[in-house]
Amino acid sequence: MKVVISTEKLSKHYGKSGQIKALDELDLEVYEGETFGLLGPNGAGKTTTLRLLNCIIRPTGGTATVNGYDILKDDIKVKRVTGMLAESPGLYEKLSAYEFLEFIGALYDVPSDVLKERIDDLLKLFSLDDRRDDLLEGYSRGMKQKVLIAAALVHDPPILFLDEPTSALDPRTALIVKDLIKKLADSAGKTIFICSHILPIVEELCDRIGIINQGRLIAVGTVNEILTKTKTKNLEQAFIALTGGVEEKELLAWREHRAAGT
Amino acid sequence: MVLRRKNCWRGGSIELPAPKWFVIARNEYRVITGSIRQMRRYFPYIVIGLLAVYVFFIAPAVVSIFIDDFLAFVISVVAVPVVQIILFMFFFYLMIVPISDTLREVKTEQLEIFLAAPVKAGDVLLGGFLGRMPFYVIAIGVITGTFMALLAPLGLDPVQNIIIMIVFVITFLSALWIGTVVAAILRTRLGKTVRGKDVGRAVSVIIALPMIAVMYAMIGGGLLQALVDPATGGTVRAVLSLLPSSWGAEIFVAFASHPGSIVATGLETMLRFGGLVVFFVAALWLGAKAANHAYSLESTSFTSPKAKPDGFFYGAVRSLGGGGSSGTLLASIFKDYGRRLENLSWIVYSVGLVALIAIFLSDPFSSPEDPLRILSVMAIPLLAGFTVGTVSRGKATLFLYRKSPNGLGKFVKARLQQSWLVTVPVVADVIAVATLLVPQVTLFPWLANVMLASLRAVASVVLLLGLALLIPVFAEESRERGLSMMINLMAIIFTTIGLEIGFSRFGLGFGKMFPNLDPFTAVLCDHLLQTAIISVAGMVLLYFGMRKLSRIE
Repeated sequence: MKVVISTEKLSKHYGKSGQIKALDELDLEVYEGETFGLLGPNGAGKTTTLRLLNCIIRPTGGTATVNGYDILKDDIKVKRVTGMLAESPGLYEKLSAYEFLEFIGALYDVPSDVLKERIDDLLKLFSLDDRRDDLLEGYSRGMKQKVLIAAALVHDPPILFLDEPTSALDPRTALIVKDLIKKLADSAGKTIFICSHILPIVEELCDRIGIINQGRLIAVGTVNEILTKTKTKNLEQAFIALTGGVEEKELLAWREHRAAGT
Repeated sequence: MVLRRKNCWRGGSIELPAPKWFVIARNEYRVITGSIRQMRRYFPYIVIGLLAVYVFFIAPAVVSIFIDDFLAFVISVVAVPVVQIILFMFFFYLMIVPISDTLREVKTEQLEIFLAAPVKAGDVLLGGFLGRMPFYVIAIGVITGTFMALLAPLGLDPVQNIIIMIVFVITFLSALWIGTVVAAILRTRLGKTVRGKDVGRAVSVIIALPMIAVMYAMIGGGLLQALVDPATGGTVRAVLSLLPSSWGAEIFVAFASHPGSIVATGLETMLRFGGLVVFFVAALWLGAKAANHAYSLESTSFTSPKAKPDGFFYGAVRSLGGGGSSGTLLASIFKDYGRRLENLSWIVYSVGLVALIAIFLSDPFSSPEDPLRILSVMAIPLLAGFTVGTVSRGKATLFLYRKSPNGLGKFVKARLQQSWLVTVPVVADVIAVATLLVPQVTLFPWLANVMLASLRAVASVVLLLGLALLIPVFAEESRERGLSMMINLMAIIFTTIGLEIGFSRFGLGFGKMFPNLDPFTAVLCDHLLQTAIISVAGMVLLYFGMRKLSRIE
């Protein structure tokens, strides 16, 4: 299988002596047509990984290639072949959905005749067609998320980076997005890199997953491989086993302290 | 799959893509005109039409009122420094417009769109600048049109007219471009942390203060006279002559002194005009070079601001709030207020404004009642208004109180106390210093002024908070909060002025009712009565404001 994303000791350290390791020596390979999920608690380094792979920020160590392009030397080419759904991106609230998608398409050099058709199709797909001319400021959070997913798809890239793609979506739209991701991977041959901490989504959609904690990749493989390795029954238990959790007896300890004090 | 019907980068169809700066400029223009989408298509024509009406009809008509004075002025010795100062102020103002606009709401979220796309940083910078250009052109058109109208009666030849127009356009575009670059860099530096955004808002509040100082100094501070005087103005003139806006001013005055004769000022004009063009090109080049530093999502700080343990100050605040839960509530509200640099910046701004008005625009205080009489009209409402601000930042805070038992009453009480704790000491200090400026002032009038001004501050806070509750604004955005603050300020300033006028016109003043009363005592009594009226009005507004707040859904 062809490797389309490959990282080699990819690192991003902050601070004067690099003491804050947002990402530490990540070695990872993602194959063409694969849906790969990166799981991790808040602040683990998931978004940093996506931003590095999409050339939004530069690594402090190591390197990576995306579709054969070096993220350090060919940033424009990398961006051209990737679509990015950021976790908390800024929308232009004073644009309509159509105008916003038209703008994003133009940024990626989609020819205008193709762009018009594609925007129409995407708006229909996400049931936004009847509100295409409404300003985005009037959209709900879920509707905005749909527009952002459409924006990541509008130039039809072979590789998609999706940061928390179903957060803020209602169950029906979440299902559409899940089905779309499956379809994009199965029928359109897209390579999809998902970052999330919603375990069922990752479990359902991803061929392989990686678990990252405090900037380090601590496990990688299929769900079954990770369950076997951690000797757990489900992904939630495996995740807690790998990243740590709170002991059951600690959950109500705060009440006992108060009782002791009164 | 519908999406794969045509694939642009795999050679589905051939079309030359639009330049990225153009795409970004068009988007920026769409965003700015988002609120007037229905007339977006006609907007440029409307602007051009209105500008033409201004340039060809309104400006000449306005200028004709004082054209004789201007013609006398333009050949006088003060012409060069005055035009230099005026152009410098326009230059400075246009430079801070994009900076102030950016700092008010530092947003970096949209940067991710650009940084994720195959776009160069220079295109983002240039596109953003060009997208706002139609609005900049309005400002440049109005300023240039006014100056051209002033020059029209002199009979400049067409070449001189064209050169002057180009000079104005280049000078002001340089200012706007520099402002745009600085704004982009500041956005990157400040936008990634909450603290940085707070610093941005704080700076945006006081950034205009130096320009206000220069303006007031020109109007009432004898700045122009000092500039013309060789003994006092030499250094400032030398500094001014280094600025590009001054080169334009010198061309303007040279042409005005030699209308119709480009040869008379040929070499000087060429040098200054060339200098301006070189400056503009250099600014463009350096700005484009700086673009890579202007757009980045690299984190600048991983340290989050930490709260220190409460010291003596917050202990005192708790006690002043009555201790217990009331004291805790007041201390919490005070911390939220005091830890926002923007709030402190408003205090600095209002004190600075009052100082500038007192120094440059008002007559020197000659009797003990002057500070109280003069500062009560404008300064105390200003200081109180900028402290009280809006009800709360976001409705979420308000609902914290709404969901707790008797929460709304506790909230209003704590907000009143917090505003008093900030406003009263500031007002007391200002009036104390102002009264000390009165020649041979004694202790009693000084104390009386401080006490009565403090009382007025207390009453003003009640009125302003009542207004803020009655017309509540819960926006996080500085612009909306600023607008709300200004409306409330106008309301209290007009109330105070109305009371002053009412007292003098209808004979309600103690000085008129009791002619034997000495002027100082009369002013104190007037002041006390006005304070009582403001307090009563404030309490009524507070009552209705609380009712409104309790019904908000």
